Amino acid sequence: MTRVRQFGEALLLTLIVASVALAGGFQLNEHGANAMSQGGAFAARASDGSAIYFNPAGLGFQTNGSIYIGATGIVPTISFYGPLQDNTNAETNMNSQFFTPINGYITYPVTDRIHVGVGVYNAYGLGTEWPDNWSGKNLITKVDLKTYWFTPTVAYRLMDNLSIGAGVSYVSGTLLLKKAAPFDTRVTLDMTARGWGFDGGIDYKATPELTVGLSYRSKVKVDASGSAGFVPAIPVLPVGGVTATITLPATGYAGVAYKFCDALSLEADYQYIGWSSYDNLTFTFTKDGSSTSAPKNYSDTYILRVGGEYLLGSLKLRGGYYYDHTPVSDPYVDPLLPDANRHGLSAGIGLNLTDHLSVDAGYLFIKFLDRTVTNTIPATSFDGTYKSYANLFSLDLGYSL
Amino acid sequence: MKLTKYGIVALAIALLYGGCKITAPSGPVAGLGGATIGKYVAVGNSLTAGYQSNGLFASAQAYSYPNLIAGQLSLAGGNVGSFQQPLYSDPGTPDAVTGKASRYELISWVGPVIGPRGLTPGAPINTTLPRPYDNLGIPGAVIFDFLDSTNVGIKALPPRSNPLFALVLRNQAALGNSIFQQAVALKPDLVTFWLGNNDVLGFATSGGVSPSAPTSTPIFTALYTQAIGTLRAALPNAKIVVANIPDVRAIPFFNTLGPKIAAELPAGVALQYQKHGNSGVADGSTNFTEANPPLITLTGASYAPLLGHPGGKWYRDHGYPALPPGIDTTKPFGLHPQNPWPDALVLDAAEQATAGASVQAFNTVIAGVAAANKAVVVDINGFFNRLKASGYSTSGIVFTADYISGGTFSFDGVHPSDQGSGVVANQFIAAMNSSFGWSIPFVDVSALPALMVPLSKGAKVYPVIPEGSFGELEMLWGTR
Repeated sequence: MTRVRQFGEALLLTLIVASVALAGGFQLNEHGANAMSQGGAFAARASDGSAIYFNPAGLGFQTNGSIYIGATGIVPTISFYGPLQDNTNAETNMNSQFFTPINGYITYPVTDRIHVGVGVYNAYGLGTEWPDNWSGKNLITKVDLKTYWFTPTVAYRLMDNLSIGAGVSYVSGTLLLKKAAPFDTRVTLDMTARGWGFDGGIDYKATPELTVGLSYRSKVKVDASGSAGFVPAIPVLPVGGVTATITLPATGYAGVAYKFCDALSLEADYQYIGWSSYDNLTFTFTKDGSSTSAPKNYSDTYILRVGGEYLLGSLKLRGGYYYDHTPVSDPYVDPLLPDANRHGLSAGIGLNLTDHLSVDAGYLFIKFLDRTVTNTIPATSFDGTYKSYANLFSLDLGYSL
Repeated sequence: MKLTKYGIVALAIALLYGGCKITAPSGPVAGLGGATIGKYVAVGNSLTAGYQSNGLFASAQAYSYPNLIAGQLSLAGGNVGSFQQPLYSDPGTPDAVTGKASRYELISWVGPVIGPRGLTPGAPINTTLPRPYDNLGIPGAVIFDFLDSTNVGIKALPPRSNPLFALVLRNQAALGNSIFQQAVALKPDLVTFWLGNNDVLGFATSGGVSPSAPTSTPIFTALYTQAIGTLRAALPNAKIVVANIPDVRAIPFFNTLGPKIAAELPAGVALQYQKHGNSGVADGSTNFTEANPPLITLTGASYAPLLGHPGGKWYRDHGYPALPPGIDTTKPFGLHPQNPWPDALVLDAAEQATAGASVQAFNTVIAGVAAANKAVVVDINGFFNRLKASGYSTSGIVFTADYISGGTFSFDGVHPSDQGSGVVANQFIAAMNSSFGWSIPFVDVSALPALMVPLSKGAKVYPVIPEGSFGELEMLWGTR
């Protein structure tokens, strides 16, 4: 009875947080303060509720039910210098923004070997907003993509040292896009999207010290539909319905964790992202069947992650680093998503407040390598230098049953 | 206590990273390479004046390519002061026949109908300037006019019938009799010179009828050589930039109606038209499938909807006292040899060859004369040909040579739009930057107004331009 009430309250809390949340960055890998503090290298250990994201098999080794809930605050800073098409080095700063992707996981051991759970998180999202009258206004002034993933998960511990897990995700999202359009109009696309995906993982404790984890999350084709509005309204423009199909790429983790002593564990992960599924962004207008298509031609890419945790008395000290290789080649870089190779450096702490209640706090600094592009595709024709960084703050509360 | 210590360390790390500041990368630095440019003068015709949509009006003159160049020069450290133009208040100059403003506007979405609104014309508003204008572009000027010191009042009378010389070349006695004299009186450090278009455009836009030939190449050669030679002699140290002449076939005036007519012709039925110099029974027919089909001028917009219907609107509109021999207006217009599409509304293959040969010859002359006089050439011809072939993109805007929807040209299909002017200005700036070692920032064309009327590409309608609307254009390169 008590447990049921606790679950109900947690679910309520999750929904409240979710309703005020925003997502940022096209792929988001911050799905728990514990993992974020350790450079996101967590697929082998997967030792809290965020296993639902990182590796569902990790639940199989968790002995207690838990609630793990929190959010990440993202403060990106992006400056553009150019465009070189105008023979200028003029600086344009992206408008200040603050994104708060959320995470909430509830897990419960049904039997000794079967552990179930459900998670809600924002696996993909994007937010850029430029000044209304900047020189790139015909490319983008604002884009806001949010995706909410609802993932029921089950894990089964096959052997004492081997667990498997799988989940199904219902993805619901919104896309808002604003830019200048032909004939001095401004267009706003306001769309909602939904789709389905699945995930699975294996976690294997080769020795008491060494754990190997593998997980895979399928690509998700989301069908988006909504409305296109033009200001001023000109009769011949395709005002009205608009549809698009966006494929959120598949991603997979391979992680190795090693426990050097009771106080120290380290992990290294290789993350794969199948960005080649994002080959173009096409919007089709219902009014006249016309469509507008922007080639993206992203490439499959990877992220290398290392991180660890050190127990200092009751305090868990965490740190990590990752290198994120951009999926975007120079010709396709545009201000919609001015991507670049990134270094991420993280630190954080964890503390048990009571026997049941714990708190994790993390900080991540992401440095985008300066990116100068001089050969953007004709449809973009917007060359210059992007300089970006981001500060991320993460806080999660854990409740162990 | 311990916790506080770690907290402080964590905070310090956070501040360290959070305190990272972005510094500007190295990039283009605006400048004129040490040159001093204190005065810029533009010489030209309607393209230079900022004439647009069949009229000259202040809100378009503000985006004339010389005015845009002057603004960019200032950004690069040029000290050209305020660039003065012969502004004419909106809605602009009057049509010689109706007396109403000749400017085209969108009159109705249905059609759409584009044409003059019948508004009371504007008036000159910058008339007290005690010196010549910096923009000496005169709509209708030909190469001959550069050194010609004829009284501007005479040019307002037939055969030129062009009142705009008087607008631009004011007070000839005090300020100079010719374009050349007024330009030199300003002691410019930089002169852009874009004349010669009308020496072939008049022939082409009138379907090869009026005048019946472009300026002859020997005459053009003599006039151009004399013009630039005289200018160079008077301004030995000035930077002189000349633009060549675009091929008339690259502009939407010639490329809009033909494809629409081709799409409307019933299967197996050809357009019957008059070739060069013919006013009688059709001697040409086309399904627009041949390699070099005839080009239908935009002036035919009010006649294209009449195709296939018996009638003699063309002859009534043009005051024919009697139908020419062989013509029978009870036959379907344009589809029967005895009621053909008129010579004046079509540039046939031979006429295209004539115009093309003149453009090529003139541009060869321009290149040679420029080289001999240390003048830089802006290859506008090459640019417009590329625009027609594959479009031109910048900052997410795609320009093409399509009528209206292409964004480059104004409603008259000949003169650039505001954004098109920016694109042209950038061609001048690019040539100056590369030849003089300057680094003038280009015009941000995304910041200029776009044409307000899109034409759906697939629309099965003709742009409706009322008959007589092109009177102003005809004046611009009328008989000489």
